[in-house]
Amino acid sequence: MRGVGPNAHIKREGWPEMKEVFIGRENLLRLIGRWAKDHRVYVPVTFDIMNHEETPDYQLVGDEIPEKLCLEGAALAHTPKSFLFYPREVVAKYPSSDSEAEVEAPPTILVGPRACDVRGIEKFDKVYWSTEHFTEEYDDPFVIEKRKNTYIVSLDCTAAKDSCFCTEVGGEPFPKGGFDVNLSPIEVGFILTVGSERGEKLMAGSDDLVSEVQPNHKEDRDRQRNSVIEAVKRQNAEYAVDVAYEKHELGEDQDAWAHVTQNCVACGACNRACPTCTCFILVDQRAKGGYERTRNWDTCLSIGYARTGGGGNSRPNLPSRLENRLRCKYEYSRDRYGLVTCTGCGRCIDVCMGLIDMREALKHVVTEKAKA
Amino acid sequence: MKNLYRPIESVIEDIKDETPNIKTYRFRPKEPVTFEAGQFVELTVPGVGEAPFTPSSNPNVTETMEITIMEVGSVTDALAKMKVGDTVGIRGPYGKGYDLKDFEGREILIMGGGVGLAPLRSLILALFDDIDKYKKISIRYGARTPADIVYKDLLPKWEQMKNTEVLQTIDEPHPDWKGTVGVVTVLLDDLPLVTTVDVESLPFDPKTAIACVCGPPIMLKFVNMGLLDKGWNPENIFHSMERNMSCGLGKCGHCMMGEYYICKDGPVMTAAQVAKFEDPF
Ligand SMILES: Cc1cc2nc3c(=O)[nH]c(=O)nc-3n(C[C@H](O)[C@H](O)[C@H](O)COP(=O)(O)OP(=O)(O)OC[C@H]3O[C@@H](n4cnc5c(N)ncnc54)[C@H](O)[C@@H]3O)c2cc1C
Ligand code: SF4
Ligand code: SF4
Ligand code: FES
Repeated sequence: MRGVGPNAHIKREGWPEMKEVFIGRENLLRLIGRWAKDHRVYVPVTFDIMNHEETPDYQLVGDEIPEKLCLEGAALAHTPKSFLFYPREVVAKYPSSDSEAEVEAPPTILVGPRACDVRGIEKFDKVYWSTEHFTEEYDDPFVIEKRKNTYIVSLDCTAAKDSCFCTEVGGEPFPKGGFDVNLSPIEVGFILTVGSERGEKLMAGSDDLVSEVQPNHKEDRDRQRNSVIEAVKRQNAEYAVDVAYEKHELGEDQDAWAHVTQNCVACGACNRACPTCTCFILVDQRAKGGYERTRNWDTCLSIGYARTGGGGNSRPNLPSRLENRLRCKYEYSRDRYGLVTCTGCGRCIDVCMGLIDMREALKHVVTEKAKA
Repeated sequence: MKNLYRPIESVIEDIKDETPNIKTYRFRPKEPVTFEAGQFVELTVPGVGEAPFTPSSNPNVTETMEITIMEVGSVTDALAKMKVGDTVGIRGPYGKGYDLKDFEGREILIMGGGVGLAPLRSLILALFDDIDKYKKISIRYGARTPADIVYKDLLPKWEQMKNTEVLQTIDEPHPDWKGTVGVVTVLLDDLPLVTTVDVESLPFDPKTAIACVCGPPIMLKFVNMGLLDKGWNPENIFHSMERNMSCGLGKCGHCMMGEYYICKDGPVMTAAQVAKFEDPF
């Protein structure tokens, strides 16, 4: 499935053949400072908001690197999608005879996406920017222009959140491709991997900040990576099922779905938090000089999502909608794009006010299906 | 890059009442919007929103486009209040058209229910343009009451076309109605269940005949069951699928049915494609 279309040049895999250098923490801060001169650079920072002080999120780098910079831990609160596909964005102003799209896409560097996020971007590439499935006239300028101008500087995870399960869905807590630059935190600094030509551009002129990677650096990284892999596997042992994730057929057992949906209130938080939820709704309204059309993130859990004119609804009840969400991740995207689009980031578990754990839900429906 | 969300300004040139809540509009887009029978467009009522519609006019007429629209909600109600000379927006066409080359030499059954005859009208008109290429065109149409029948003036004319028949029914008996009564599936009663009889004497050859069906979900369901029972090839039964649509571009996700985007892989789907779904309509 891979390797065709305008984004075919993106190396989704390639590590360990990629170029690697060592960079110390102070020099990394200098490098970020250099980038910030001609890019918007976002870095992970810990915030003290109510009880969320532990979850880092992106902050724009101003004149100084934020004091609470946090390059450790696991996935941030937001996914990279917020930067490529805004929660709400004007996509057309009318009446207008101008057929060109007006897109604002300043050069941006995201420091902080994790492996699960980098995999998530692939879904966006398939849906919005891929002639494998769509011809060129279906290219979405609003996502593509931002995608082209956004550099991904990913990070290895150094610890897992309770909700992380990347290893159970074919991933690892460190990316093997799909990034421009990757940073692996080690005892004495970072191993910096250059993953693309764009990454090379980011590193041009900064030879003074890096040095050769030493064997003990790599040993340290391997140890670090293995310990996180083990931690993720350990915490997910209780959710294990006999069926390999890429072979899931979750089925239409209404009782099983009703059981897992009991505490869902259709708030849509899971959709918003997810790195691979790509859905939206277009909304028109009056604006200065005419009208404008905005594109807004949408949630497949809402009752109106599948409602048709005259009152029909192909997913009239909540269990059928949660079923759709999970089957979209595990079956439909696989069948259409060759991608299982749950990357195991755990965010939908973190944000669910009904305390629904996707892993438990999955285990329940897979087990019930096996019984049937 | 081209903006695929921009509506193309289109002037309402004519409005014709079909029934108390269905009108046929003729639009003149300021930039050409051509389509194939079976494809649809997104129609914008400025400031209110968009909704998907299949044009009902002849695809071979390219300067203007007609759409027959029932009032059912926000966009369609706002449109019904507009007047000749007002401006709306159109973008498209989207989805796949019928493969008319594949229909050549065959019997074609066209089944419409209610406003569902509207999307089929563009197909009917395209077929009429090349009528000698098709063995037979059988138009079968059901409406709730005589007042709900669309194209009242056109149906008698269609009946006069070569190799064409028009059968109609209404749901309940009505003093003004002399014809068949019963839901639209009664119009399949002349198709025998068991095809032991000589194929020549059948109204359709179930192995090769084409069926194009459009109407409310419940109708699609029963027509689908009926035709399959009568031995029709599921590859030859084409259903117009109604799904919520926002983008029409295979991106917003609203129309998804399993791995299909109805706006892109449809909106016409064969009985074979939908067979794996428990309740596809
Ligand atoms: C391919 C295709 C071709 C079609 N062709 C025709 C045709 O030729 N003629 C015709 O008459 N019809 C046609 N239809 C049906 C037509 O698209 C609908 O009747 C139309 O979308 C109704 O729009 P509305 O805004 O008037 O209705 P509404 O029901 O007001 O709104 C339209 C959509 O908005 C959503 N919505 C409404 N209220 C809410 C709410 N409170 N919360 C969340 N969501 C809400 C619903 O999901 C609904 O589907 C076609 C449909 C498709 C998919
Ligand atoms: S976050 Fe939880 S409650 Fe909210 S829609 Fe998702 S599953 Fe339902
Ligand atoms: S479904 Fe949940 S765990 Fe999977 S990628 Fe989306 S937010 Fe992460
Ligand atoms: S209508 Fe948006 S994906 Fe089909």
